[in-house]
Amino acid sequence: MKKIDRKDFLTLAGGAVAGGLAGTVFSGAPIDALQWLVEWTQDQYRPLDGREHYLRSVCDACPDRCELSIRMIDDRAVNIQTSNSACPVGQNALQLMYHPERIPQPLKRDGRKGSGKWTTVTWDQALTDIASKINEKIQGNKRHLIAGINKDYNLTSALLDRLIAALGSKNSYYEAGLEAITTSSLGGVPQYNFENTDYILSFGARILEGWGPSGSLLKAFRGWKARGTKLVMAETNRSRTASMADEWVPVKAGTELFLALGIAYVLIREKGRNSGGAGFANWVTYISDYTPEQVSSITGVPAEKIREIADAFNRAGRPVAVSGRGAQGISSSSAEITAVYALNSLVNSPAVTLKKHTGLGTPPMSQGAAQAYSSAEPKKGLDDFIKNGEFELVFINEANPVHRSVFGSDMKTKLGNAFVVSFAPLVNDSALYADYVLPSLSFLETKTTAGDAAVAPYAQARHAGQAIIDLAGKIEEIRGAFNWQSYTDLIREGSALGAAGNFAFNNESLKSQITLLKKLLSEDRNYPLSLIPYELPMLGDGDGLAFPYILKNIDGNTYSKKKLWVMINRQTARDQGVSEGERIDIESSRGEIGSVRAHLTDTVAPGVVAIPLGFGQKANTKYAEDKGVNPKEIMNAEIDPLTGNADWWLTRVKID
Amino acid sequence: MKKFIDLLKNEFNSYSRNIKITLAVLFALVGLFIIFGIQILFWGLGYTDMSNLYPFGQWIIGDLGLVALGGGAFTTGFFLYIFRNDKLEPIINSTVLVGFLCYLFTFVFLVFDIGQPIRAWFGYTYPNWGPGLMPQSMLTEVVWCLTFYFLILCVELLPVALKHKVLDSIPFLKYTGHYLHKIMWIFAAAGTFLSFFHQGSLGGGMWGEMYAKPVWFDHFYFYVTIVGATAGGTSFMALIAYSAGKVMKKEVVPWETFQSITFISGIMSIVYLAFRAINVYRMASVFVPAVDRSFMDLWGGIYGFWMLVAEGLFAVAAIVLLVVKKFRSQERLMLAGMICAIMTSVMSKLIVVLHGSSTPNFPWRPFAEYAPSFQEWAVMLGGLACMALIYMWAAKYLPLFPHLHKHEHEEH
Amino acid sequence: MEHNEKADITRKAPAMHRKWGMAIDLDKCTGCGNCSLSCAQENNLPMFEDDSDIPKRVFYLDLMKVTNDRDAQYPNVGVVYIPKMCQQCEGNEPSNPKPPCVSVCPVVATDVGDDGVVSQIWSRCIGCRYCQASCPYEARAFNWWKPDYEGRFKESLNPEVSVPARGTIIKCTFCSHIWKRERDRAVANGELDINAVLYTPACVSACPTNAMVFGDLNDPNSEVSRLSRDARAFRLVHSIDEKPADEQKRLRGIKNYPNPKVYYLTSHQWIRDMMRFK
Repeated sequence: MKKIDRKDFLTLAGGAVAGGLAGTVFSGAPIDALQWLVEWTQDQYRPLDGREHYLRSVCDACPDRCELSIRMIDDRAVNIQTSNSACPVGQNALQLMYHPERIPQPLKRDGRKGSGKWTTVTWDQALTDIASKINEKIQGNKRHLIAGINKDYNLTSALLDRLIAALGSKNSYYEAGLEAITTSSLGGVPQYNFENTDYILSFGARILEGWGPSGSLLKAFRGWKARGTKLVMAETNRSRTASMADEWVPVKAGTELFLALGIAYVLIREKGRNSGGAGFANWVTYISDYTPEQVSSITGVPAEKIREIADAFNRAGRPVAVSGRGAQGISSSSAEITAVYALNSLVNSPAVTLKKHTGLGTPPMSQGAAQAYSSAEPKKGLDDFIKNGEFELVFINEANPVHRSVFGSDMKTKLGNAFVVSFAPLVNDSALYADYVLPSLSFLETKTTAGDAAVAPYAQARHAGQAIIDLAGKIEEIRGAFNWQSYTDLIREGSALGAAGNFAFNNESLKSQITLLKKLLSEDRNYPLSLIPYELPMLGDGDGLAFPYILKNIDGNTYSKKKLWVMINRQTARDQGVSEGERIDIESSRGEIGSVRAHLTDTVAPGVVAIPLGFGQKANTKYAEDKGVNPKEIMNAEIDPLTGNADWWLTRVKID
Repeated sequence: MKKFIDLLKNEFNSYSRNIKITLAVLFALVGLFIIFGIQILFWGLGYTDMSNLYPFGQWIIGDLGLVALGGGAFTTGFFLYIFRNDKLEPIINSTVLVGFLCYLFTFVFLVFDIGQPIRAWFGYTYPNWGPGLMPQSMLTEVVWCLTFYFLILCVELLPVALKHKVLDSIPFLKYTGHYLHKIMWIFAAAGTFLSFFHQGSLGGGMWGEMYAKPVWFDHFYFYVTIVGATAGGTSFMALIAYSAGKVMKKEVVPWETFQSITFISGIMSIVYLAFRAINVYRMASVFVPAVDRSFMDLWGGIYGFWMLVAEGLFAVAAIVLLVVKKFRSQERLMLAGMICAIMTSVMSKLIVVLHGSSTPNFPWRPFAEYAPSFQEWAVMLGGLACMALIYMWAAKYLPLFPHLHKHEHEEH
Repeated sequence: MEHNEKADITRKAPAMHRKWGMAIDLDKCTGCGNCSLSCAQENNLPMFEDDSDIPKRVFYLDLMKVTNDRDAQYPNVGVVYIPKMCQQCEGNEPSNPKPPCVSVCPVVATDVGDDGVVSQIWSRCIGCRYCQASCPYEARAFNWWKPDYEGRFKESLNPEVSVPARGTIIKCTFCSHIWKRERDRAVANGELDINAVLYTPACVSACPTNAMVFGDLNDPNSEVSRLSRDARAFRLVHSIDEKPADEQKRLRGIKNYPNPKVYYLTSHQWIRDMMRFK
């Protein structure tokens, strides 16, 4: 055998290497390797596939009860379509349901209040501990220091009201939304028949931008043009609703009340209209000063225009006059709500009725509870309660007074000294100060009037109503008042509306409001400008900020590159020496918010600064955290005697 | 290892103070280039100040500028090999190297600029050729032209590289180099031909294709950029050789070579100015009014009409200083003329990218703004520093300037 | 017999005669944003903690807030939200569509289909952004950052739309995948005529006021076709539409025009005025 010498070895080795390389190249391995490299470097997520099917359900989030069709991939919901696809709540449900910061199980505070440090506990531990805290209050005769704060009227709020009442407290409050302030002003919530009206007169109510029952409103809006329904919008700034209205009546900032009084004057004195309601006779004498000419000098609306509107309103068959300034964050004085409602009453419009949330009725009470209940003196509204009330144990049901109330910082202090239980799917600014956060459900996980929930609840999250029933079961004294196994037994009753009593004209409130307003509107050299809020589509009063797809809709003149913008009238800005994009501070008598940028536009009135609501949250997931500033900190904090809530719509400010 | 470090130390210490500082700065920039280059390649273009409203930024300006100025290599070669302008012989090696570097780094910047560099080969495998003879997408043409022409430059550079003392001692390579040099005119002709296309495509056709953007659209811009490259590129080649001479404190290229190449540049600047005037006139009178916009209103924001004025002034200055013999023969004025010719070219690229991208598409939008981020500067300047270092290395170790060696031989 | 005929898949497919288009009635649009939300959900758009760097934002449907501050003063100003997605341009010649973006793509990642929809292949795109520069409607978005979906958000993703890689362009395709889904369903039921299948993109099905209408522009009886000929109809920044026919012909001889397939309707003159540069 021939010995392999060096040369042969090199030839062989070289050949082997060359052959191997050629083989590798022609096998396609390099392409595979490249493909692998491409995929590896991209680290690209592939959405999970599965069996596609559709579920039918009903959205119980509001009285409209939209029908839903939910596209499912296996047990995951990936798309929601509704019969009228009207409100963002429906569209947004997936983002809430699959939010990475959903609370999986009850959280117990672990550290300072507001520090956001929690330990997880079981439901049983949480409810037992809460029940023992309640029993302490009962035994310590501190029933009047138990309170409940709700966001909206619904099944859970009815259950919470019942819990608070059963414990002998009347401290049951609602955030100052449309329903809460109209209920306390009028004794009920006006139900407008938008489907079937021919003339809508809105006093600052941005009815096409998420106001009130937005789903049914937008549904009704589809038919307005065909039916010849006319929309007249009285508002200071040119909102989208004002732009879509058949007529926009620009009023001076904050003077909607006077316009309503002026129209009422014409209806009564010149059209011979008359209204029911206690105190009407006095009210008439009181408003006799507000002739169209007088009102014109206050509101800036020509007297002719006032007469014209009054005439059109008078002639319309089914007119509605709508109050409640804003879109989702509503602020109007009781005097304004009454004055606007009086217009409906004066023409006896068949398109407006007054209804009231019936709740679950007064529960049976123990002797101690009954005694405490009868002697309790609750505040008129939430802001009044935060500022002047006392509490040691409070339930917060989805509400967020720390962010949304003008007394947010007072609320923080008071929550710091109380035992706080919060029901929420995400930790918001108020839940941040809770001792226990009890995870609640998104509506797709909730059983509905149509039947079972579409999607199984996340982790150990539980319907807040169920949690209240379970909690009541642990408290000896009130167990009898909650004779239900499950919240599903109550779905139909929870947010029912019943007839409201007759409303009354509260002349004291009108008097004090007019005095306050006149003071606010008078020239003030220190604070020459008016601050008026506005809201973005879907973001509303701040809840929407927690969702990344809603963040995609915020425009560059509202929040851009981590800076909040305000809108200022061009001429006013020129007078103040402010240029486009300039950084300014806004100061009111209550304080200062700094570092916002100015956008100059004539969609806001001269002398007005328009600021978006909803920003400046400290929690509500990392998507909402620390974005912009919260104007409520400096907004007007005079409490309305009837609604018990601050009328923060108009604030006198100056800018630096 | 220690030996190697010592070697570097000694090498570094052997230079004069000015060169030491220059080298330190250049190496620092290359360091930044590497660091931020990795950041851009691995974590994406989010770190640049480009955006959906401003998709082309500094690197595209760099690409356009390098391609235009590097095009001077072909123009010079064309005049030398085809027109037999032998005065250009002493500068040709330097221009070929500069051209090579310009195209190499155009590739490098393009790799940074595209979002998926790992898919860059799609340009060869899925070219958007369209139905015609010419590619439909100008960027397809850019990729192909750039490739071919980069290969040509490699071939042109080969004889220079083969002159390196180690390689030159191998007979086979020596003769290859020699004969390659003889047939170089073929490559020069092919290169110039491709260069025309390529200048046109990356410089002009790219913008002329975007019919929906009034700020760019004019087919004629294609020819403007071709001429622009010959005018600016030749001056750029002269300036590089001139600077090398200043740094080396030697006459690397004879005076008449500079006179000849800058004269060419001056003449081409006249043609450029004429072409550009036609282009501006066509846009202002036909294409921009056709979409109901006024030409002057396209100029706004921070990149205003002054840019076009400045471009015109640079061109006029270049013409006066380089064409008139009285001015050209004064060294300082010749230098100023070269710089003006280069600035004309650079300005036109700045206008096309900066001003073009900032012009709003909707009447309610303001002019967009763009401030390159630190990463963009690092990659851009670092890339240029790499080019400078390679050129410096070549000047030291390769016969970049035959004129210099001739003199040295004579002295010996 | 008829059933057999339908099931015969070797039969030559009928020629496409659809040309998808959209009409958006701004008189009905309240700017609620449902379209944009629904679009993002359907198309798996990336989610970012802070999406306030608007020029780098990745979205298909931009709810543009437009005012006529330029032309008017308080109180004569108006506010409108214009939902703007890819306008699916076709160029001068509808029979040989030439959108501005398609011809510039170096790697054929974007193309125009015989239904007139401008497509985009995520995985083909090399990210040169040439199409983005050529688009007059700012309809294309580049993934400047890696699209990332935190935690459980992944569970709500739509399996029919792939997640793009960082450094690529993505765009609205009129939810073509829904059309494919509907066609697959029709095929499963024995229907083989591609023209028989209609569909609704996510934005249109989410519109609460029926302001958005989607359909076939080639079908003269479709609502979208009727609306596109309405006196209130206009197209975004496309002033040539307002000129007399012979002038239009002359101009089209000079250059290509985008000719989008999305129509907007308004009864407000100021909105039309804002479509023109001054």
